[in-house]
Amino acid sequence: MNQTLLFLIPLLPLACAVLNMLFGMRLPRLVAETLAVSGVAASFLLTLLFWGYADGAGTHALLGTWLPVGDITIPFALHFDALAAPMTLMVTGVATLIHLYAVGYMHDEEDYARFFGLLNLFVFAMLAIVLADNLLVLFLGWEGVGLCSYALIGFWYQKSENARAGTKAFLVTRVGDIFLAAALLWLFALTGTLEIAAINARAASFAPEVLTALTVLLLLGACGKSAQLPLMTWLADAMAGPTPVSALIHAATMVTAGVYLLCRLFPLVSLSPDGMAAIAVVGALTALYAATCALAQREIKRVLAYSTMSQVGYMFLAVGAGSVAGAMFHLLTHAFFKAALFMAAGCIIHLAGGENDILRMGGLFKRGPRELFWVFLAGALCLAGAPLTGGFFSKDGILLAVYTQGTPLFLALWGIGLLTALLTAVYTFRLVYLVFAGEPRGHGHPHDLPLLMRRPLWPLALLGLCGGLLNLPPLVGGHEWLTHRLGTLAGREILAGHSIEWALAGLATGLVILGWGFARWRYGQFRGEQENRASRFLLLGWRADALVDLLFVRPFTAMAGLCAIGCDRALVDATLDGLARQTTACGERLRGLTTGRVSTYLAGFVWGFLIILGWFLLALVK
Amino acid sequence: MIVPFAHVLIFAAILFTMGLGCVLARRNLIMILIGVEIMLNAAAVALVGGSAYWRQVDGQVFVVFLMAMTSAEVAISLAMVVYLRRRRGTLEADRFDGLRG
Amino acid sequence: MTTMATSLPQFPWLSLLIGLPLAGALLCLLQRRSAIECRWLALVTTLTTLMIALWLFVTHGDGQAGWLLREDAAWIPRFGIRYTLGLDGISLLLVLLTAFLHTVAVLIAWPEQRRVPLFMALLLILESGLMGVFLAVDLVLFYLFWEAMLLPMVFLIGIWGEEGRRRAAVRFFLYTLAGSLAMLIAMIALYLLHAAQSGAPSFALADLAQTRLTLTQEYLLFGGFMLAFAIKAPLVPFHTWQPDALSESPAAGSVDLTGLLLKTGLYGMIRFAFPLFPNATRNCLPFLAALALLGLFHAAWSAYRQEDVKRILAYSSISHLGLVVLGLAAWNATAWQGSILLMVTHGIVTGALFAVVAMLRARTGTRDLAELGGLWGAAPALSAFFLLFALASLGLPGLANFTGEILVLLGTFHTQPLWALLALPGLVFAAAYLLRLVQGALWGPAPANRGAIADLTVREWLVLVPLALLTVWIGLYPAPFLAPLAGPVQAALGGLP
Repeated sequence: MNQTLLFLIPLLPLACAVLNMLFGMRLPRLVAETLAVSGVAASFLLTLLFWGYADGAGTHALLGTWLPVGDITIPFALHFDALAAPMTLMVTGVATLIHLYAVGYMHDEEDYARFFGLLNLFVFAMLAIVLADNLLVLFLGWEGVGLCSYALIGFWYQKSENARAGTKAFLVTRVGDIFLAAALLWLFALTGTLEIAAINARAASFAPEVLTALTVLLLLGACGKSAQLPLMTWLADAMAGPTPVSALIHAATMVTAGVYLLCRLFPLVSLSPDGMAAIAVVGALTALYAATCALAQREIKRVLAYSTMSQVGYMFLAVGAGSVAGAMFHLLTHAFFKAALFMAAGCIIHLAGGENDILRMGGLFKRGPRELFWVFLAGALCLAGAPLTGGFFSKDGILLAVYTQGTPLFLALWGIGLLTALLTAVYTFRLVYLVFAGEPRGHGHPHDLPLLMRRPLWPLALLGLCGGLLNLPPLVGGHEWLTHRLGTLAGREILAGHSIEWALAGLATGLVILGWGFARWRYGQFRGEQENRASRFLLLGWRADALVDLLFVRPFTAMAGLCAIGCDRALVDATLDGLARQTTACGERLRGLTTGRVSTYLAGFVWGFLIILGWFLLALVK
Repeated sequence: MIVPFAHVLIFAAILFTMGLGCVLARRNLIMILIGVEIMLNAAAVALVGGSAYWRQVDGQVFVVFLMAMTSAEVAISLAMVVYLRRRRGTLEADRFDGLRG
Repeated sequence: MTTMATSLPQFPWLSLLIGLPLAGALLCLLQRRSAIECRWLALVTTLTTLMIALWLFVTHGDGQAGWLLREDAAWIPRFGIRYTLGLDGISLLLVLLTAFLHTVAVLIAWPEQRRVPLFMALLLILESGLMGVFLAVDLVLFYLFWEAMLLPMVFLIGIWGEEGRRRAAVRFFLYTLAGSLAMLIAMIALYLLHAAQSGAPSFALADLAQTRLTLTQEYLLFGGFMLAFAIKAPLVPFHTWQPDALSESPAAGSVDLTGLLLKTGLYGMIRFAFPLFPNATRNCLPFLAALALLGLFHAAWSAYRQEDVKRILAYSSISHLGLVVLGLAAWNATAWQGSILLMVTHGIVTGALFAVVAMLRARTGTRDLAELGGLWGAAPALSAFFLLFALASLGLPGLANFTGEILVLLGTFHTQPLWALLALPGLVFAAAYLLRLVQGALWGPAPANRGAIADLTVREWLVLVPLALLTVWIGLYPAPFLAPLAGPVQAALGGLP
């Protein structure tokens, strides 16, 4: 088989996206939906088919030239290797299920062609990031997912808030993109190429300060897309989009692009100890920050959004601790269970008649379909890290990796990680209790739940629960399949005694039980809507929006006013108008001389003549 | 040459000054035009004098041109004067100040 | 290919490029009765010109340095003025852009009802003048075309413009005239200096470039030329005519103005100001870069504050051209290729945005952002084009502008990392004002008092589809458009460190 066929994986969704965007509204609805789902499903099957190409150093494939830069040509090329393959499989697999779910979810939506077109386009862009052979193709995907995220968050554009949330997401992530672009320019200037493998190979020859600076630039770039501190404000608002979008883009795939970027460039990143520490610190702080915010959220999707932010923080922590395998492991399990949770949340909102507020839900265990409860519980157990679920193993692996770093900084970060694990259990079970326990508190009229919205939940929930098998530690008899699969790309090898591993696992289990116990005591019975200053502070995400507004948005708007009115109108235009007025005034004064009378002119003529005559006479005399 | 060249020039200068005085002092359009004619004739006298003095025919040729031009000018300006008189009912030069700024 | 190049000069293709639109304009003026005939006449003329330009592009776009085509004839020998036209890779792209955008402009102006023959004639004269500017190699000839393209534009704005057209037209005229005057004086001074040195008076670019000048003389003359070009480009302190002119001009005029007229200033720098005064250029590059960065951000900020849709686009033009000038100031082959490509793509993308806004205005009767909104529900196709071009304008990879921008940044970073880093926040700025524009026009609820809005007509599809296709094509496969630049850019940079 020709390796150029690998391009079919990203290009099939693109083709379906283009078809849907151009002709979707003229096609029968069923055809448009089938097109969207089959495009992604075909990519999934192709990934399985081409799985062998990822063996060893992977396969490069070249489609054509893109950008000639001097003597160098940057091509459309992709690299299918051990890191990209599982990620591709996850993206296409999860996307297929979410597309199926979306067919059910968007059943009553008029503008379905735009939705499915954008969703397919997103899958294409995400695959471009995953499979990119050079940073420019990665940047193409990077901006592409941003665009799709923008357009899909604001999908219901009639409400200005939705569209504004999309704009906010685009702008905040674009701030991150600046740093990524800076890193890209710098790397090109240093190496004369943008090919990722070549950059990684040459990274060892860079000066240490350059490496640290590059790592920080990449980190900031990753922060934008992955909603990490300090560029995290957009993710919670992004929940304005349709639920399948939240599940696909803002939980499973796009927000993990930052992690993937750092993993892709890990050979470069890992050379800078300071940079690695920065990554770990950002990850740990975000994990803690987002977990505290999730404690007080009222909208079900915002709880999940903050939990996503927090879990992605864990993945950053893993990269910072040098464990690419740990980060990718958590990335995969998280994609499964978080997608399941989001889609279940979509079902819950449907059943609650469009009600978002968990304080006004309740009683769904008795009233709703039982399977929904089980799926949601499966997802929640994974998220909380209950023993033997996928989330347990992946999170445990990360904490172990951080712990074995052993420096005081990493021990502190490990402590933060443990605290976050406790908080995660608390807010997860808070969510479960508020939604399912007790009597119904809402008055919304429940919509019925199409089969297509329920069935895709099962495989995801199962994958989440059994996700641990992907990288089961030897401690419980596993072979660490993912780590072996990644081979040299897996990062640092984690060496720890069995006793430490057992102790950490036991500690994690204890924290989950503690969190569950607290949530059961506090939220087992609904005690009414209570609000205090602390919960309000957390609800608003530590007032980060207000801070950004004060520090950036207002100065920006003020500068805009200064430039448009202060400078252009008051300075430049006024100067020019003043000049023009002066000229006019001179003319006004001079016009008094022209009386229009012939006699005046003649007199002037004679005087002039006399003066010239006198001048000549004077010259003659001299 | 019977008359000295200087005398011719003095005569032309006197004639020119008289014409200029007429143009400057009078307010009637016709009188101004007459003044202009006198000035032109003063120039013609000077040209003829010069022609005789240097024994060159150019000056006299020029005078012929001048006469033709003068008659054309008079024809047009008198037509305009008649038109203005019909239209505005006056030939007072200062009343025509349509070019005032 | 080489046999082509040697056999071609027999036929005056370049004069044809200039003469054909002029002939079309004369025909339009001669038969003033039927508006429809004039429209078709103009369309046929521009299409034929486009075909010629395309043919030249296909046969000569392989990146040789030097003149691909050249025509030379004596004109006023006493002053050494010659009728010299030359086509190199840089002018080839701009000639192609001129021919293309004028075809589009004629289609945009199709529904114009007032004084159609005159309108079309002016449009064609403008095309002729622009072709001349991009082709002339003799300074007097260049100046002639430079002024010749000014007048039709002034009339287009002054007669067919919107409410504030008079003021905008006068402002445009005076501003550019003041600049041209400075250039004229500098030109004559240079000519006299050269004539005194060599004894053979000449206005030819190649001859004048040989003039030996003291540094002070170079600065003064460079300043004269640059003033004209900076006003036309426009660089920031000299830019305030441009939002007025662009927003008051009729749609076809806006497309021309932003797509082509602004480019003549940048082209003038590349073709005349830089090679004539190399030492002054070298010393002024940091200053030029500072002006470019100032313009980039100042205009972006100003755009963010505007309420008038066309003014937002006008300021976005200034902001983009700031990046072009930055690329030129970086003095590096990659950055130059990027700059010139960005000139072309900016013409296409911003031109398209102006066309879309004109269609929007024809339907809603307003350019005020506050009175627009919710367009997607009413006219999805029009909105989709709007979004596409706005995204291209904010530099989304895979669309036209990104190609030029990334080349400018890569090249600039290579020689002047700091400049490139300073320019990067421009990406966010562009996104800020363009998304605000999109938000105001496309999203949100539709205004209550707005009636039904029709989606695109066939003519409008014909206008937008080629623009959109080009936008995507240059975004994904820019090589054919970069190829002609390779040789000339190397040659232009060769004269300087």
